[in-house]
Amino acid sequence: MFKLSHGRKLTQGAFLLLFLFLLFQTESKGGDELGYPVRLFLDSDPFIFISALISARGWEWTFLKGFLPALPVIAITLLMGRVFCGWACPLGTVNDLAGIGAKTKRAAVPKSLRKLKYLLLIFLLTLSLASVQLAGVFDPLSFLIRSLSLWLLPGIDNGTRALFNALPDSGSASESGLAETVFAFLKAHVLSFHPPSFGQGLLFGSLFLIVIGLNRVEKRFWCRYLCPLGALLGVFSVLSPLRKTAGEDCSSCGGCVRFCRAGASGGRHETWFGTECVRCMECRDNCPKKTVRFGFKAGWLPSYSSLPSGPDLGRRHIAASFLAALAGAPLIRLARPSRSEAAAVIRPPGSGDENRFLSRCIRCGECMKVCITNGLQPMLLEGGLEGIWTPKLVPRLGFCEYGCNLCGQVCPTYAIPRLEAGVKKRTRIGCAEIDQGRCLPYAESIPCIVCEEVCPTPRKSIRLDAVRVRDRLGRDTAIKRPRIDPERCIGCGACEKHCPVEGAAAITVKPLTVRRKA
Amino acid sequence: MNRRNFIKSSIAAGLMLSVPGPLRGILEAADPKPPDLAVVRGTSPERITRAAIDALGGISRFVSRGDVVVIKPNIGWDRRPEFAATTNPEIVAALVRASLEAGAKKVKVFDNPVFDARRCYKQSGIADAASRAGAEVSFMDTRRFKDVKLGGRALKSWPLYRDVLEADKVINAPVAKHHGLAGLTMALKNWMGIMGGRRGSIHHSLDNSLVDVAAAIKPALTVLDAVRILTANGPQGGDLQDVRKVDMVVAGIDQVAVDSFGATLFGMKGGDLGYIRAAHQAGLGRMDISRLRIKRIRLG
Repeated sequence: MFKLSHGRKLTQGAFLLLFLFLLFQTESKGGDELGYPVRLFLDSDPFIFISALISARGWEWTFLKGFLPALPVIAITLLMGRVFCGWACPLGTVNDLAGIGAKTKRAAVPKSLRKLKYLLLIFLLTLSLASVQLAGVFDPLSFLIRSLSLWLLPGIDNGTRALFNALPDSGSASESGLAETVFAFLKAHVLSFHPPSFGQGLLFGSLFLIVIGLNRVEKRFWCRYLCPLGALLGVFSVLSPLRKTAGEDCSSCGGCVRFCRAGASGGRHETWFGTECVRCMECRDNCPKKTVRFGFKAGWLPSYSSLPSGPDLGRRHIAASFLAALAGAPLIRLARPSRSEAAAVIRPPGSGDENRFLSRCIRCGECMKVCITNGLQPMLLEGGLEGIWTPKLVPRLGFCEYGCNLCGQVCPTYAIPRLEAGVKKRTRIGCAEIDQGRCLPYAESIPCIVCEEVCPTPRKSIRLDAVRVRDRLGRDTAIKRPRIDPERCIGCGACEKHCPVEGAAAITVKPLTVRRKA
Repeated sequence: MNRRNFIKSSIAAGLMLSVPGPLRGILEAADPKPPDLAVVRGTSPERITRAAIDALGGISRFVSRGDVVVIKPNIGWDRRPEFAATTNPEIVAALVRASLEAGAKKVKVFDNPVFDARRCYKQSGIADAASRAGAEVSFMDTRRFKDVKLGGRALKSWPLYRDVLEADKVINAPVAKHHGLAGLTMALKNWMGIMGGRRGSIHHSLDNSLVDVAAAIKPALTVLDAVRILTANGPQGGDLQDVRKVDMVVAGIDQVAVDSFGATLFGMKGGDLGYIRAAHQAGLGRMDISRLRIKRIRLG
């Protein structure tokens, strides 16, 4: 009998490679576009789609159009169950890899924990109803992209550079040296253009390692008990006609249970939870009697409650998670700081109103990965719980590159809209302010025009005034002083980034919400 | 210069190369002295660049067989060529091709842009044009800066790019444009692009700093791009209203003279600019263009 699980492994490998390839392509090469559909996996994610559709009330065609790739995933799930989880999901594949050789302890985890993911799904979708968008915090694709982009890949990148830079004579050694040749190849094809650097590495790393490590407790722990996308696909699969059956010669040997990576098989051949099964085909391929089959049959899948060992999702639990979300939404909202200095952040261009942005952002980290200057950084709790891992611009680290609109191109939910290049260049995200106590021409009569020079608006938003002043020693001296035109300034932060004053810049971008007003 | 003259001078150059070294010196001395500056106008950036080089005595005067040549254009900003914030890509390509024809072993093209290097290289059109012409286009590597003792009036030492210091020949290929502090930025200021460290801080004494750095580089040739010049809102520009089409290149060995001539395109004199005055005083070159021999050529 041909082993379908071999085909599955190949498919998983192909999807994981595609996923990684697209992730590596999520970086500028200097052109206006990336050239690859780097959002493909997120666009295909029905959980992100439905949750964002609800939270953003995204009934416009541009929004719906972006998620067309999710339709085949839904269709396949309706027909064949959770094959996405078993055959395509890159986090599922990473979990499989991490679970290789893990000894499954019988009953390490109470089976009833499976309902947790359904309750989480209900909780998150109910929050979406209240426009609190936290789906991406738990979505597996968002989780994986975020973990790799903001922690693992930057770590590998910086580690590789440190290694090569530690070699004797690095950079001055002959270009033909082997190490330099390898390094040049890595820089051209593997490493980021600039060594990436993001805050919260410890947190992202810990969460990722916990999820990976849980595979040693039970294989695919995440998929079995926590994954809200898996839960959603489980719901879609209740009518799936692709069912597991066992013939009359089944001896109830328990192999199905041993080989199942999803906890979908019970002890006896008739015990099979279709909503849990990821169609990995291991039970079929490993059945000693070759009697396990998958075939198409109509009818409702056996529900949990109808099965002796099935966990009961329970009306009470469903109601509890629904109510918890209803009560939680305003509590999460209340945790948002008011319009104080601390709450005010510079969002990516075009994000618009903070409520609109928060109702759409799924915190996948794509915008931060693609940001050409590394200026987009993940927030933690400074914008309230609701703002966790959303992007903010930190101009001193990296400004909003004038000609770049890549963050809008990679955002799957239009939290950052896809601004046409000309529009992006006119889109205000803040306004610069000069600190005259630190600015060299003002404070010490030292000539400096860097902010004016780097200001990218065609009609400079920073002008130079030639004035006569008294210098440090009281001598009459001529100097040029920068002056900001708030009507022209778009708040890109090029001035703040390049201000040569050590430490805090003498010119800083303030978000429009807390701009100095007369 | 027409095609016949071009062929003639090419043949002459070829003959020169075939003459043994000591004899060549005698022959060259017998030649009429080439002009100090070649100022060529015409609609094709490639052709006027070629004509300027030829008027100065041909590329073989500047590049020898086996040389590693560095061509330093201005790729400082994320602007397309028509905005005149970066050197015209056709001029860069013409210089690359000429150097390779003269037998250069390798031609390197790079700059240290202020904005994202990937975008500047791409949008300026220089990366594509130069690599098509056969140059090795690379992004500058932060590890390849070397502290250089300048002993200057403003800078005692500064990290400069190794590839420029170690090249056999260096060609300066700036674009002529307005600058808020320096007044204009052309050849001398183009060397900011090979500076590492916190180069923004040299604005505190810009004129002398520019001279100190320029003194460390001895370009074999300087070709100033004035095909389009940026007359306001420089050095970055971004508005076509600030761009004037001049269809000109100014070439010479003396970069102070080139800059001084460039200033006249903006209705100024070299002496109006602090760093040109400082460079003149430091003996880096001559700013009094009235005393220079200038060959003016007009192509169709």
